[in-house]
Amino acid sequence: MASVHESLYFNPMMTNGVVHANVFGIKDWVSPYKISVLALLYEMTSSKITLPERRRLNKLILPLQQGPDLSLGQFLKTVEECCPKTAYAVKLRLHEMADGELKDMEYFFSTLPTPFTAFDSEAYKTSVVGLFMRHMLLAYNKLSFSQVYKLYKSLQHYYHSHYAKPTDGQVCVPTLAADDSDMDLTSTEDTVGDRADKEELDTPLHESELRCDNTPSRGPLSQKQAEYFLSRQAYLLKNDENKALRPAALQEELNNMLKFNPDFAEAHYLNYLNSMRVQDIFLSAHSLLHYFDRLILSSNEGKSNGDEGYGRSLRYAALNLASLHCRFGHYQQADLALQEAIRIAQESNDHVCLQHCLSWLYTLEHMKGSESTVLTQDSVKMAAHFCLPYLGSLDIQSLVQQGAMQGKAAHKLMDALKDTEILHWKHSLSELIEISLAQTTSIWRMYGKSTMALQQAQLLLNMSSLEPVNFGVHQNNTEAFAVALCHLAELHAEQGLYSATAEIFQHLKEQFPPHTQHSKLWMLCNLKIQFERHMNNRKYHLAEPLVKAMSALNKTEGLYRKAQVLKALNRSTEAYSILQQLQVHCEKTKCTEIIIRVMLSTAELHWESSSFSTALPLLLQALALARQHHLQSLASEGVLHLAFTQLMLGIPGQALTVLHEAMEPILAHGAVIDKGRAMLLAARCHMAVAGFRLKEQGHLGQHSAALAVDGLNEAESYFSRLSCKERLRDVHYLQAQLHRSLGQTAQSNKSAMNFRLLDQELQSPAPPVFMQL
Amino acid sequence: MKMAALCSEFGDLAQIKKQLISVISLCKERGVLHSAKWASELAFALDPLPKDNLPPEPAFTEEDAQDLDAFTLAKSYFDLKEYDRAAYFLKGCCSQKAYFLYMYSRYLSGEKKKDDETVDSLGPLEKGQVRNEALRELRVELSKKHTARELDGFTLYLYGVVLRKLDLLKEAVEVFVEAIQALPLHWGAWLELSNLITNIEMLKSLSLPDCWIKDFFMAHMYTELQMIKEALQKYQNLIEAGFSKSTYIISQIAVAYHNIRDIDQALALFNELREHDPYRIDNMDTFSNLLYVKCFVSLQSMKPELSYLAHNLVEIDKYRVETCCVIGNYYSLRSQHEKAALYFQRALKLNPRCLGAWTLMGHEYMEMKNTSAAIQAYRHAIEVNKRDYRAWYGLGQTYEILKMPFYCLYYYRKAHQLRPNDSRMLVALGESYEKLSQQVEAKKCYWRAYSVGDVEKMALLKLAKLHEQLNESDDAAQCYMLYIQDIFSCGEQLEHAEVSTALRYLGQYYFKSKLYDEASICAQRCCDYNDAREEGKALLRQISQVRDQVETPSADLFTPLSNINTPVRRVSPLNLISFTP
Repeated sequence: MASVHESLYFNPMMTNGVVHANVFGIKDWVSPYKISVLALLYEMTSSKITLPERRRLNKLILPLQQGPDLSLGQFLKTVEECCPKTAYAVKLRLHEMADGELKDMEYFFSTLPTPFTAFDSEAYKTSVVGLFMRHMLLAYNKLSFSQVYKLYKSLQHYYHSHYAKPTDGQVCVPTLAADDSDMDLTSTEDTVGDRADKEELDTPLHESELRCDNTPSRGPLSQKQAEYFLSRQAYLLKNDENKALRPAALQEELNNMLKFNPDFAEAHYLNYLNSMRVQDIFLSAHSLLHYFDRLILSSNEGKSNGDEGYGRSLRYAALNLASLHCRFGHYQQADLALQEAIRIAQESNDHVCLQHCLSWLYTLEHMKGSESTVLTQDSVKMAAHFCLPYLGSLDIQSLVQQGAMQGKAAHKLMDALKDTEILHWKHSLSELIEISLAQTTSIWRMYGKSTMALQQAQLLLNMSSLEPVNFGVHQNNTEAFAVALCHLAELHAEQGLYSATAEIFQHLKEQFPPHTQHSKLWMLCNLKIQFERHMNNRKYHLAEPLVKAMSALNKTEGLYRKAQVLKALNRSTEAYSILQQLQVHCEKTKCTEIIIRVMLSTAELHWESSSFSTALPLLLQALALARQHHLQSLASEGVLHLAFTQLMLGIPGQALTVLHEAMEPILAHGAVIDKGRAMLLAARCHMAVAGFRLKEQGHLGQHSAALAVDGLNEAESYFSRLSCKERLRDVHYLQAQLHRSLGQTAQSNKSAMNFRLLDQELQSPAPPVFMQL
Repeated sequence: MKMAALCSEFGDLAQIKKQLISVISLCKERGVLHSAKWASELAFALDPLPKDNLPPEPAFTEEDAQDLDAFTLAKSYFDLKEYDRAAYFLKGCCSQKAYFLYMYSRYLSGEKKKDDETVDSLGPLEKGQVRNEALRELRVELSKKHTARELDGFTLYLYGVVLRKLDLLKEAVEVFVEAIQALPLHWGAWLELSNLITNIEMLKSLSLPDCWIKDFFMAHMYTELQMIKEALQKYQNLIEAGFSKSTYIISQIAVAYHNIRDIDQALALFNELREHDPYRIDNMDTFSNLLYVKCFVSLQSMKPELSYLAHNLVEIDKYRVETCCVIGNYYSLRSQHEKAALYFQRALKLNPRCLGAWTLMGHEYMEMKNTSAAIQAYRHAIEVNKRDYRAWYGLGQTYEILKMPFYCLYYYRKAHQLRPNDSRMLVALGESYEKLSQQVEAKKCYWRAYSVGDVEKMALLKLAKLHEQLNESDDAAQCYMLYIQDIFSCGEQLEHAEVSTALRYLGQYYFKSKLYDEASICAQRCCDYNDAREEGKALLRQISQVRDQVETPSADLFTPLSNINTPVRRVSPLNLISFTP
C-alpha cells in the first residue's frame, strides 16, 4: 500500500482542500476588451434576444469576464457563434466609438445602466453582471484625462488592428500579427483534442472556455484575470494535471505574467508547483523562496494581519521548504527545515502550524522508514483539540495504514475509517473521502478479500467529483485514483482478464503520464502483472528483464522477484542468499507481507533439495504470521504450501484436511491460478489417498479417485482460462494416469493425446511434476 | 623593447588626440552627449596640439549644405528637448547627419513619453507594460536601411540601442559590433556592447577592430567581469602609454580596487581624483561606500571625510543618484537609519534600476530591524541583477536574524556561488551549518574560508572552537596555533581578536600533553591579557607543581620514559617567543 500523503503539500491558497486565490483586494481596470464586453452586456440588457440565444450568451458571460483579454476578432467570433445579431450590434457600437471621437466613448459610459438604479434588470448591483459593471464604472471614473485619452487611443488601435490585419498589418505590426496567428493555431488544435476527449463539451461556452485557458495570452492580465488563471491552473495541477497547461507553456505564461507584474507573488508559487512537475529542484526551490520573500512583503503591507501575518508566512516558508526537500527525497534536508519550522512555530505559539509540522514530521519519519505511531497519535489528539478536521482525519488515516501493517484487528481499523468518513462528509473534504476509499480498497486487498476491494475501488471510481468548483474535471488524477485503478488492474489480472487489464493501464497511462508523480505506481503494478504472467507460463527468460525495471521502481520488490527468477532457474544458492538478505531487511522495516512471501519462497527452496521436513517450521511460522496479520490470501498460500509438504512427506490424508481449510477462501477470493493450483493439489492428495488404499479397499479408493477426477477437471478449466500450458500439461498427465489406473482407457487416451500435443507445442522437457506446487 | 613599444605609443598620442577631437565634434553635432563627454575627458588628459596640427573640419557634402537650415533649426529644438518638433523639421532630409538626428529625436521623444506615462498608467499591472511606442517603427525603418547598408556608425549605434530596448539582444550585439567597426571612436557603442556581454567566452568570440580604444574597452570589460587583475594590468599599461592624467582611468582603477576590497589603494585614488576634478559626481557613491567600510575595518573614524563629501556633493547637485547614495551612507554611518533609507529611496526614484541603492536600502532596513522591508529591498536588487551577491548575502543575513538557519543556507549558497573566493559567505555558511549541528559541513566551510584568505580572521577561531566542542583537541590546537600566527602576521590590532582564548586553550592542551615548556610559554602570554590573566597564573602554578613532582624522583631514569609516553601529536611545538603582541 503506497503512502497516501505524498501529494499533500501545503498550499497557502488552499483551505481544507479548496483553492481560494482571491485573497487580495479587487483590482481591475478598463481595457478595450473590457469595453467590448461592456458593450455586449449592454446589448444583452437592452435588446430583445430569443431565448436559446440568450441562454448561450448567458453561459458566455462568466468566462468572458474572467478570462484573459481576447483580440476583437476572437471576441466577435465567440459572440457570433451564440448570436450573430448581437455580435453585429456590438461591432456597430464599437465602430461608433472607434471611428468617432472621444466623446462617443464618454457617452457610451454614461449610457450604461447604472447598477444602483436598475432594479429589475440583470445589471442590478448584486448580480455578476452588475458587479462587473460597477468595477468598470469605478475604474473608468478614476481615470485622469490623459488616461482616458490613452484608453481611447488603445480602443481605436484595438478596433482597427482587427480590420487592418488582412491588408497591410503584416509589416507595420509584425509582432501583433504573429501573435494572433499563433493563438489561432494553438486554439484550434487544442480544442479539437479536447473535444475528442469529451463529447458533451459541444456548447460554445466550453469551446470558448477551453480556448481561453489553452491559448497563451500575451498581454498583461488584470489582477482578477491573473488570479482566475492562477487558481484555475493550480486547481488543475492538483486534480487533473493533464488538463493543465503543459509545463513549458505554463512556464512561459508565468514568465509573461511576471514580466508585466513582478509583484504578483502567487505566480512564483505556481511556478514552484510547475517546476515540481518536471522534477526541477533548482527552479522549484528558487521559486518557492521567491514566493515567500514576496509574501512576507505583501502580508506586511496589509496592516490588518500586522506582524502576525508576517511571522506566519515565515513559518510556512520553512514548512514548505521541508516539503520540497521531502518530495525530492532529501530527507536530511527536509528534517532540518522541518525542525526549523517547528522551532519558530513553537516560539510564536502557532498551534495550527505546529500541527501541520507534526503531520509532516510523521510523513517524513514514515518515508525514512522508521516507526512513528506515537507521533501520529499525538497528532490526532492535537488536531482534535484545535478543531482541524482535515489534519485530524488525515492522521487517523495514517494510523489506520500503520495499524493495517502491524496487524491490528480489522474491525478496529474499519471502525476508525468509518468515523473519519462521517467527518469527511460533514466537512465535505472530498480529497480525504477519495483517500479513504482508496485506503479501504488497499486494506481489503491486503487482507485478501478481492470482492470487497473490487467493490470499494468501483465506488471510488464511480463517485462524481465533490469539488465545489470543478473546471470540467471529471476524474481527479490524485494518488487515490491511481491506487484504486492499480488495484483494479491487479484484480482483473488475477481473474485472467488481461485485455481488461490492458485497457485499465491504457487509461492510467493517459491520466498519469510517465513524467508525473504517481506514474511509478502503475508502472510497478504493470511490471508485477507481466512478471506473474510470465512466471506462471514458465517463461523465465521473459520475466528476467522485468526484474531490473522493478528494482528501479521499488528495491525490495525487485529483490524479491529476482530471488524468484533465480529459484525458477535452479540457481538455488544465489536465490537463497538473496532471500536471507531480504528477510533481514524486511524484518527491520516491518514489511510483513514480504516477510511471509520470503518464508514461503525459502520453503520452496528447501523442497528442491527434497528436505521437506526442514520447510515445515518455516511454513508454520509464515502461516502464524499471516494469520496474525489477517492476511488471508497469504495464509491460504501458506496452507497450500503446508499441504504440499505433507503430501510429499507421505501423509496425504493430513494434507487433505489442512487443504480443506484453505479451499474455501481461495475459491471465494483467490486468483484463478491459485484456484487451479489448489484444485490440482487437492486432486493429487486424493490420488495419493486413493493410490494408498486402492490395494486394500476398492470402494473407498473409488470415491477418492472420483474426487480426484473432478478436481483435475476443475483445475484444467482454471488453467485453460489462463492458457497456462505448462500446468495444463501436468494436469493432462495426471488425468491420463488416473484414468488408466481406473481402467477408463478412452478417457486416458484422450488425456494422453492432449498431453502429447501440448508437450510437442512446448518443446521443453517437463519438470518433475511432483516437485512443484 | 618595452620602451620602444611605449615610445611608439607616445608617438601615436598626437594622432589619438586628433582622432578624439574630430570625434568630439561629430558627437556634439549629433547630440550624442555622453560619448562626447567621455572623449573630451580623454582628450583633456592629453597634451594640447599645436595650431597647425589640429584636425581639419569634416568634409561638408552637398547634402549637408542642402539640409543645413533644417538641421540647425532641428538641432536647436533638439537641444531644448523638443524632440517631436525637431523630428518634424528633419523629415525628408537626406544627409546622414540629419537622418541620425531625425531618428534619434524620435527615439528620445518616445523615451520621454514613456517616462511621463509611467506616472499615469491605466492600471497597476500595466507598469511593466509601458514602453516606448516609437521603438517598433524605428526598428522597421532602420532594419530596412540596415539591409540596404545605408547606415553609418551613429545610426548603427541607434539601431543597436533600439534592438536592445526591444530585448532582441543577439541582434543588438551584432549591430553594435558593426557600429564599432564603422566608427571605432564612438565610446557609446562600446559601452552599450559591454552591457550585453555576459562572459569572457562571449567577449573573446567577438571580432572587434584593433584600435587603441579597444584597450579601454577590454579594461572596462575585465572590471565588469570581475577579472580585476587583468583589468588593473590593462589600465596600468594605458597609464604608462601616456593617459596618466585621465580622470576616467583613475576612477576606473579606483573602482577596480574597490571590487577587490583593497580599500586603502582605492581611497587614495579617489582622493587624488577629487583633487583633479573637485566637482565630479560620477563614482562618488563608490567612494562613500569605501569611506563607510573603512570606518568599520580600521576603527578609524572617516565621518568627517564622508560628511565633507556629502556636503560638497549636495552643493554641486542634490538630485543625483550618487549624491543621494552618499548622503544615505552618511546617515547610515551616523546611525540615522530612517533618514538613510529615505535617501536611498530617493535615489531609487531618480533611477529605479540603480542596483546599489536597493542593496544599501536593504542594509538600512536590517539595521532598523525591519526585516520584511529588508527582504523586499534585497529581492528588488536581485530582480534588477541576479548576480548581486551582496543582496543574496543580505537576504541570508535577514533570515539568519529571523533565526532560520536552514532557510538562509540557500541564500548564502547563492552568494557563495557568485563569489566563490569570498570568505565572508563561507563563514556565514559555516555558522549556519553549525547552528544546524552539521559539524562536518561547518568545518569544511571554515577551513575553506581560511584557505581562500579570510578577511575577518574569524574562520580559524570558529573552526578551532568547533574542534574543541567535538573534543578533537589536536585539530583544535592546530587551528588555534594557525589563528595566533594569522593574527600576529597581519600586524594590525583587530577589535574582536581572541588571542587570549587561543592561548588559554593551547596552554591547557600542552599541559595535558605534558609539554610543560610550551605550556608555560602560553600561560605567560596569557598573562598579557586581562581576561586570561588569572587562568594563566593558575596554569603556571600547576606547571611548576607538576614539574616539582616529576623532578623529585631521579630525573635521569624517567626522562626517556616520559618521552616515549608523550602522545603522538600532529602539532609541532611552536616557538611562541617569536610572537610580538
